[in-house]
Amino acid sequence: MESLFVQQVVNGIIIGSIYSLIAIGLTMIFGVMKICNFAHGDYSMVGAYAAVFVMAWLPGWFGWIGSIVAAAAAVGILGVITERLVFRPLLTRRTDIDIIMVSIGLFIVLENLSQLVFGATPRMLQDPFGSATVNLGLFSTSILRLFCLAFSCIAMGFLHLFLNRTQTGIAIRATSQNRNAALLMGIDISHVYTLTFALGAGIAGIAGVLYGTLFAVFPTMGALPTLKAFVVTILGGMGNLRGAVFGGFILGVAETLGGSYISMQYKNSIGFVIIILVLLIRPNGLFGRREGT
Amino acid sequence: MLKRFLSLLLVGAMVVAVAGPAAAAPKTIKIGILGPFTGSLAFNAGEMKKGMLLALDEINTGGGLFGKEIELIFGDSECKPDKGLSAVKKLLTRNKVLVVGGGYCSSVNIATSDICNMEKCPVVVAIAISPTITNRGLKYVFRTSPNSPMFLNGINLWLEKVKKPKTVAFFMENSDYGRDGEEIWSGIAKKIGAKELAHLYFEIGDTDFTTQISKLKNLKPDVTFNIASTTEASLIQKQAKELNFLTQWIGVGGQFTEAYFKMSGSICEYAMGSSLEPTLNMKDPETAAFVNAYQKKYPGARPGIFSSQGYDNLMVIFDAVKRAGKPTGNLSKDRNKIRDALTTTDIKLTQGRVTFGKDGQVYTVFPSPVQVQLKDCKPGLHVIYPPEKAAAKYQNPKPWAQRKCK
Repeated sequence: MESLFVQQVVNGIIIGSIYSLIAIGLTMIFGVMKICNFAHGDYSMVGAYAAVFVMAWLPGWFGWIGSIVAAAAAVGILGVITERLVFRPLLTRRTDIDIIMVSIGLFIVLENLSQLVFGATPRMLQDPFGSATVNLGLFSTSILRLFCLAFSCIAMGFLHLFLNRTQTGIAIRATSQNRNAALLMGIDISHVYTLTFALGAGIAGIAGVLYGTLFAVFPTMGALPTLKAFVVTILGGMGNLRGAVFGGFILGVAETLGGSYISMQYKNSIGFVIIILVLLIRPNGLFGRREGT
Repeated sequence: MLKRFLSLLLVGAMVVAVAGPAAAAPKTIKIGILGPFTGSLAFNAGEMKKGMLLALDEINTGGGLFGKEIELIFGDSECKPDKGLSAVKKLLTRNKVLVVGGGYCSSVNIATSDICNMEKCPVVVAIAISPTITNRGLKYVFRTSPNSPMFLNGINLWLEKVKKPKTVAFFMENSDYGRDGEEIWSGIAKKIGAKELAHLYFEIGDTDFTTQISKLKNLKPDVTFNIASTTEASLIQKQAKELNFLTQWIGVGGQFTEAYFKMSGSICEYAMGSSLEPTLNMKDPETAAFVNAYQKKYPGARPGIFSSQGYDNLMVIFDAVKRAGKPTGNLSKDRNKIRDALTTTDIKLTQGRVTFGKDGQVYTVFPSPVQVQLKDCKPGLHVIYPPEKAAAKYQNPKPWAQRKCK
């Protein structure tokens, strides 16, 4: 017996895992450098296009795994380039508005550049499972969706280990918590910035391959994930990794349940209603630290 | 004093520089083309543009009109009414086009045709199908595409006479395109006594439809009306498979583009719509000539409904400009002459004969209901109704587990 409620929760968890994966890079970059990057979703778009090219000459499983590696590498490099050329020169400015405007400009440039280079026709990434589906009693879904869920969770797990168990990861966290203290401890802040951007963008690139395989690859595909990632980040607390992970799942499930039981037209606004509620009750987000501590 | 004189001189020079080219007679005949050339519908607008460039080639290699080349100036609407308005205003006032063609996205064209009418510039809409565009009694507004009641007429007869569904559901793009179609089909559902189980919507650019499809699956409608464009329609059908949802999908037919078949492959089997596919009408000499010329200009490309609509749209405009006589250089006079020439249009093109009714709507182009059927697991479109025109029999959608093609 299939249950609509269970089906919707599962739909929400799966899409939420992708939201988390995109948001995690956004929140990391914000945490370390205090940059609100509105072009973050476009890193996913570039990652997805990288996958299109890898899979064109390497089909099947190898192509898919290869495209994830290629997307992470290519977008990681793109992240470093944008950090050095676009964001780094602005970091010493006093106002955040400069950075926000520049990132919106970057978003427009990347989107239109990709339309110019790749064309506007949407492309599909080949499903390595041959679009097989499973029926697990209470709900049905595709193996690809379950795999994306598992893959996101594993990727987030590895990121958690990296940030908590390695010297470099600890340096990133230290910079995020207190830039000056980290500098005094002898951490190379410039190096940390570059690394954070490479890592955050690389993860967004991987998320782009998953997103592109589940849906489609087209130049404007980055806009919606950027919006969702911002909702997730604010929901979980700006700069908070745990917040981004849980925020993604909360948003995914809230959207599907709200869409199903309240009203479909408001599906995309449900996230913003939740943000307003959270900001009223916990101004720093669900997992955010209070100011001054 | 000298400084003041020099600055005045500079201002004077600038005024002359700006006004200069406008005063001289234009070297080309300028036609404005609107369309969502960027954004989520860019590739559909690209198909329209391909058809138009083919028409342009034919005219310009034949020497243009009145010894002048035709120049197309493209305005990007991004499928957003506000962007469309600023694009059309630029075409009308800065580029001083004689006539505006193209047009895609009903919500945009309702707004842009209104501006053209106010500026007394003829506008010939190519693709948008909302009835509102031509039913407001605007003197300068024409449309070379059938409107949504005409598009759906064939499929509605089929629903009434053949399918007779007991339950239906609606899953529409939240725009004038979707809402107008919904109204028509809701009327048909009432007429044939089918129960309307749900009215669901999505936004242009959405990618995840699992919430809505899960809900539809729970309701089990015999027929699901789905007014969507290429990307959304193929993602919806893909996700219906993932969720094991079986229904007879019926759309308007605008989704049946080259990209749609590439994206959905065998998954789109059994999907229905109403179409003017040029490749289904190869017995007609004009259509066959268009298909051959198109494939010659764009090797490997499949000429779809939008490319032929773009071609026909521009051909109708050329015909009117030609019959209006040599442009005098007086913009409002020339625009009026073209407007008058458009009302007496009678030309046979790839989609059939084009003549306009009093409201500027073409009533002589008839779309037929089509179904996607597979041959060697490759999707193809077939006309299934009325019997005298049908090329294939309607097939009932089989449960996903019983379908052989992957």
